[in-house]
Amino acid sequence: MRFAVRVDRVLGRLCLLGCLMCAGWVAAADLPPLSRALTVLAEPKPAPALRLPDLDGKTVDLAALRGKLVVVNFWATWCPPCRREMPSLERLRRQLGPQGLEVLAVDVGEDVDTVFAFTGQLEPGPEFRILLDRDSAAMQAWKVKGLPTTFVADPSGKVIFRAVGGREFDHESVIKQLQAHLPGVK
Amino acid sequence: MNLLFALLLALLVAPAQAETQRRTDPDTGALSWETRTQGVAVSLTQLLPDQVLAFYLNRGFPPAAAERFAGACVFMTVLRNESAPGELTFRLADWGVRHAGGVHPPPDVAVWMGQWTALGVSEPARIAFRWAQFPPEQEYAVGEWNQGMLATGLTPGAGFDLVVRWNVAGKTVEGKLDEVRCAR
Repeated sequence: MRFAVRVDRVLGRLCLLGCLMCAGWVAAADLPPLSRALTVLAEPKPAPALRLPDLDGKTVDLAALRGKLVVVNFWATWCPPCRREMPSLERLRRQLGPQGLEVLAVDVGEDVDTVFAFTGQLEPGPEFRILLDRDSAAMQAWKVKGLPTTFVADPSGKVIFRAVGGREFDHESVIKQLQAHLPGVK
Repeated sequence: MNLLFALLLALLVAPAQAETQRRTDPDTGALSWETRTQGVAVSLTQLLPDQVLAFYLNRGFPPAAAERFAGACVFMTVLRNESAPGELTFRLADWGVRHAGGVHPPPDVAVWMGQWTALGVSEPARIAFRWAQFPPEQEYAVGEWNQGMLATGLTPGAGFDLVVRWNVAGKTVEGKLDEVRCAR
């Protein structure tokens, strides 16, 4: 009985608390800062396979993007730093997309409705492709250990950068790192 | 033999160099503890049992399973390599929760996952649980970090010290958060 009362009380506060949780578990003043650099991988290796449906149900294959600089971002709507870094991913795409940069954001374990409900609140709204890794198999194939984690594959398909934890992707230092690897840049 | 081991450990493990800073969130009243040791920042922020319960109910957990985890003294945990002399590695199994004269590592995520499977928690809910947790092991280059939930397994209101260990440049480093308290 006591348990039932407790759950009822909590369910009644779900909306409010759910919003608090989505906002990042803690007050904005306490949020850790987003980092402003990508980790250079000393020994670039071929990117693992990535073939997943996007929000329209169309299959996207990383292998088909050979020749582009591809940012692969693993995330989830309930992950506070993932939510915070996502607008900067869109700003990055707008800045370097015309020069051959592509962004693939791989959502882990959620459905289309959940993702849409979140992305609809973003400013700027993401125009990059969002893929659904419903069973987290892709995340495990890429050896991701925590969210968010981001990789960058160069035009030859090798992973050259990694970013564990949230980033400010459109910071000038990140842009500079990426510009050196855009297609056609030697 | 024990004395020899203790001396060896003292030589191998770099001592903690920083005090624990404690803060109170003015809006929620949640307490945070933070320490910086040799270029690495570690922090714990209280999560209220009702917050944790709401999070997992929203992810599809059955009430009994969500209640079990919510009662396990859960913190939002951040570990950040700000300026360590190289890439750090850690395993939660090497960390110590000091409480009531004993020390134990934080409960293994795999043990929680086994419980959720036995309780019939859906796959999407289990995936959300797994990836919302602070990573059981990880490597961070300078600038890298993670944020996630960490359960100590203690009861609401319990007090403890958390000993955090990581390896960098061939050396084990220890940081400590003193007099942390589980939310009620």
